[in-house]
Amino acid sequence: MRARIILTFKQHRFETVAVTIVSVGLTVAALIEAYRLNSLNVPLSCLLSYHGDFVDPSQGPITAAQAHCNELAKSFFDTKQSLDMNLVQLLLLLVPLLAGIVVGAPLVAREIEQGTAPLSWGLSGSRRRWLLGKVLAGVLLLAPLMLAVGLAANVLEGALSPGLNPYASFSNYLGRGVIDVFWALAAFAGTFALGTLLGRTMPAVVVALVVCFFVRAAWDSGMGHFVLRSFAVPQVQQDQQNQQIGYVVYGPGGPAFADMTLYYKTFIDGKEVTDAQANAWYAQNMVCTPIPTPSDSTSPAEAGSPGASSSPGAPATPDYSNMGNGGIACQGPTIDPSHMPQQIPYVIPGSWYWQIVALESGILLLGSLFCGAIAFVWVDRRRPY
Amino acid sequence: MATDAGVLLAQATGIALQAHALSKRFGRKVALDAVDLTVPAGSVTALVGPNGAGKTTLIRVCMAFERPNGGMVEVDGVDPWKHRSEALRRVGYVPQTPAVYRGLDVDDHLAMARSLHSGFDAEYARKRLNQLGIPLDQRADTLSGGQAAQLGLAIALGTRAKVLLLDEPLANLDPLARREFIQVLIDAVKSDGSTALLSSHIVTDVEEACDRLVILGAGKVLLDCPLEEARQAHRLTDSKSPPPGGVAVGSFAGKGLTRLTLWRVPADAGDGAWAATEPASLEEVVLGYLAAGRGTTGLQLN
Repeated sequence: MRARIILTFKQHRFETVAVTIVSVGLTVAALIEAYRLNSLNVPLSCLLSYHGDFVDPSQGPITAAQAHCNELAKSFFDTKQSLDMNLVQLLLLLVPLLAGIVVGAPLVAREIEQGTAPLSWGLSGSRRRWLLGKVLAGVLLLAPLMLAVGLAANVLEGALSPGLNPYASFSNYLGRGVIDVFWALAAFAGTFALGTLLGRTMPAVVVALVVCFFVRAAWDSGMGHFVLRSFAVPQVQQDQQNQQIGYVVYGPGGPAFADMTLYYKTFIDGKEVTDAQANAWYAQNMVCTPIPTPSDSTSPAEAGSPGASSSPGAPATPDYSNMGNGGIACQGPTIDPSHMPQQIPYVIPGSWYWQIVALESGILLLGSLFCGAIAFVWVDRRRPY
Repeated sequence: MATDAGVLLAQATGIALQAHALSKRFGRKVALDAVDLTVPAGSVTALVGPNGAGKTTLIRVCMAFERPNGGMVEVDGVDPWKHRSEALRRVGYVPQTPAVYRGLDVDDHLAMARSLHSGFDAEYARKRLNQLGIPLDQRADTLSGGQAAQLGLAIALGTRAKVLLLDEPLANLDPLARREFIQVLIDAVKSDGSTALLSSHIVTDVEEACDRLVILGAGKVLLDCPLEEARQAHRLTDSKSPPPGGVAVGSFAGKGLTRLTLWRVPADAGDGAWAATEPASLEEVVLGYLAAGRGTTGLQLN
């Protein structure tokens, strides 16, 4: 088996070298970018108080220390939003999938295309053993390289979001860490299965690219809807703990929590209500009056911006859709806030990072095994040309 | 158990490969039509026929690359479709086009064969390649067509298989490379005592190498006999009048504008059978049967 693995590397020399160079290069690039951010040594408080070029006159004159702090934060965010940083982040997301596709596509398909399959299959009593040698070579190549890429992505994630523990947060968690290995293996297994079915390399690559794109795009919502939903807990229970541990991620968009928010529930006086019931409550209790111009609108929090609604324990966002185009201003009810509708986010706490990564990695692994099984069955049945 | 019985029977009867009523269809196209074939152990059998006759399909069925639609085939007493590993252990295969891995050198090919075939004798294959002056460290994609074919043959011989199946290995070789290939094959078969089935559509190539001839046309076996018998039992005339006791096989265009008819003449035919006829070369025997396979027998000609 060892000889077969080494020969597979030799046989697929181009793919092996290309994937190795790209993966190592990306790992180094991610670590350099992380170093660039870390070397700025921006205190968390500066990131938190960052106000950009906007100066609020009501806050009084800016001190030299505040200006310096603001400059530091600005340089941090400029680096964070630079082109090369975005490129590295994009590649960190794509490379595990692309590496799996590049290594997987020619594994069987090229043998069939180039007419070498009859030679190998004529020598080997068991085509499955033949395929196993090739698959092991692919796994041995991809696993360590993607682990390196994933770990570098974790380091970068930590640098991008100071105060964040990458191993206890769901911020970008599908594009970093151990799960990168399983993304690559899933793409690899799916692509070599396609190559075995189609017997052609390029069609296998094209189909694999399309399938991977859709699977990756649908993964978040699919997992949230079908798998993780049942594990979600009300964030209000976790919030205090999160704050104590310091799970808060800071960025230009404001603070966000390390938890994975899956859905919201609205309660009035401790009783769960539907959105329609909450809207009915607001219609009864809000006081709305026409205002002269649309520019004199209410503050974002009152207008129901996402930032406001994501804040745990905040009042539910009223539905203003039938209130015209900014011509009406509404004021909240003058009753005890504890009796107002409360919108509670249901989340997977960041502290469950490893369990969720293990779960999703397991699902990806199962998918890989399923695709592999198809290839192993089909290779035994198909013609070698 | 069935495999063991088949092997013992094959050994007892001295049959290396046999097919009975073997059929294979690709959609509506019939590639093999109730083929009956017997290849005695120790023989070198030429499987001759035009393109599309079913030669490659027959060999592929023997390699378990194709599933037959009917009938049976056994390689050294083993049904390749039912017992593929058992069958392939007994077969050395040379594919139609020289199949080499572009990124690997010659020695890598032998290492690969060794990793795939438990009984592969790499030293034996290496020795044969050395005799031909093929460098073991040369990249396979830089080998000439003849060298690549020799590499394929060395791999097949290295399996030390009882039966060698060679699927038109000479098709893309120049005359010198063809001669060298055949010499190596004859030498190996004689020294190893193996059996070879060599398919080709070039009759002169196989004439010197083989001792048995199978002519395949349109998926049917048109002739299956020892080579010498094929030569002696057939005569040629340029007229439609049959020699005494002769049976017309087929008619085909000879040199110039003459139309030649091939006759099968029984061994005990009188002197009159030979007087008006010419001896047929092996190529003419094949042409006569192929013409018959297309339905152009001498009796149907103008």
